[in-house]
Amino acid sequence: MAMTDDRITFWFGCNMLRHAEMIRLSILLLEKVGYDVSAAGGPAYCCGTAHDHQPHAASNMAERTVSRFNDAASAEGRSTVVTWCPSCHMHMSDIMAPGNPTSFDIAHITELLAARADRLTPLLTHKVERRVLLHRHLGFTTHVSVNDAVRGVLAAIPGVEVIDGPAVPGHMCSALEATPGATAKVAKDTWDMAVDSGCDTLATIFHSCHRILSPTDGREGVTIRNWVHLVAEAMGLPASDAYRDWRKGGAPDIAAIERSGAKLYAQLVEPELRKAAVLK
Amino acid sequence: MSTLPSAVATSTEAYLEAAGPRLAEQCTACGACFDACPMVDYIDLRKADAREVTADMRSLARGTPGGHAAVSWVGACAKSGRCRSACPEQAAGLDAMLLIRIARQHALNVTGQLPAKRDAAAFPRVKTFARLQLTDEELAKWL
Repeated sequence: MAMTDDRITFWFGCNMLRHAEMIRLSILLLEKVGYDVSAAGGPAYCCGTAHDHQPHAASNMAERTVSRFNDAASAEGRSTVVTWCPSCHMHMSDIMAPGNPTSFDIAHITELLAARADRLTPLLTHKVERRVLLHRHLGFTTHVSVNDAVRGVLAAIPGVEVIDGPAVPGHMCSALEATPGATAKVAKDTWDMAVDSGCDTLATIFHSCHRILSPTDGREGVTIRNWVHLVAEAMGLPASDAYRDWRKGGAPDIAAIERSGAKLYAQLVEPELRKAAVLK
Repeated sequence: MSTLPSAVATSTEAYLEAAGPRLAEQCTACGACFDACPMVDYIDLRKADAREVTADMRSLARGTPGGHAAVSWVGACAKSGRCRSACPEQAAGLDAMLLIRIARQHALNVTGQLPAKRDAAAFPRVKTFARLQLTDEELAKWL
């Protein structure tokens, strides 16, 4: 099939699977601005970036994932792989592509939405009265002006006032977890600025930051939202956040737990949901 | 939107094996990447000798052991990317962030100076999260 710029593969990565609503909203936003979206993610589409200790396995993962995207390009005309995760995006650009022939381009979701602001902005019809601190990282701006792109999207929402948070190290919060105390310091610096600047909302850009900040939702009158939640609110769409609610003491319903495997849930998921918040 | 670079190797493993020595050769160990790195403050190395640390980082990228400070530094890399633009050799093709990443990989896998943190449950965990929330159709189409 001939490739077109409007047919894309939305590559949401592995860890985004904690946040199903954010995946669905991302797909919806891309569709609303005119893209034909096929979504792909999870371990079968792993980039391999978290497997530096297993270079051969990581190399095989990269080859498999590139091959699948090449297939989507040739069979379905999907000319662009659109990322959510900055790790996946950088790994594709810097390491996967130089080691594997690719027949697609790459873009971050925020770039596509910013590029079609003329289509997105008219859809933001619901006023969202929020003073929002944007949680920003220094990293990934080497590849995509993600902080500027998200600020632009949020600023187009009627009623939203955006304040830039401190530009903290790393490309997202999970990158700091190897360094003792770093995640907590970054979270505290960001949180303190949100409170001190009178914000009622702290907006995350990436999933790992959202995961780390979620348990703090509601403290001192500050709500944690991802940027896609805010865009959804402005479009009058439901914007629930199950992961955030579970981290604050909620739990999935019994049927969902049984469907996922009650033993696996107890062993793998529940300990994460009951972990203490990074911000004390 | 960006066009991806053309493949110059037959796999990512082969690419990284070749890139380490090549990038290390371009590196002058001037210390600019270390000075620009925000993580240096988080690992209490701001007073370290930047030239010495980057020379050791370069050794790691070649697959030979580096000093303790260099190992700590590459182990703390969070991909802030400040090193890239700070590197005076960037225009000549030196990607300092990639060089530091390769040094870290070598500290993990070649010199054994960094412990590998394996999380065997990472994939099963995200799959369980997926089954908690996704419909059968989403599971079949997306994963």
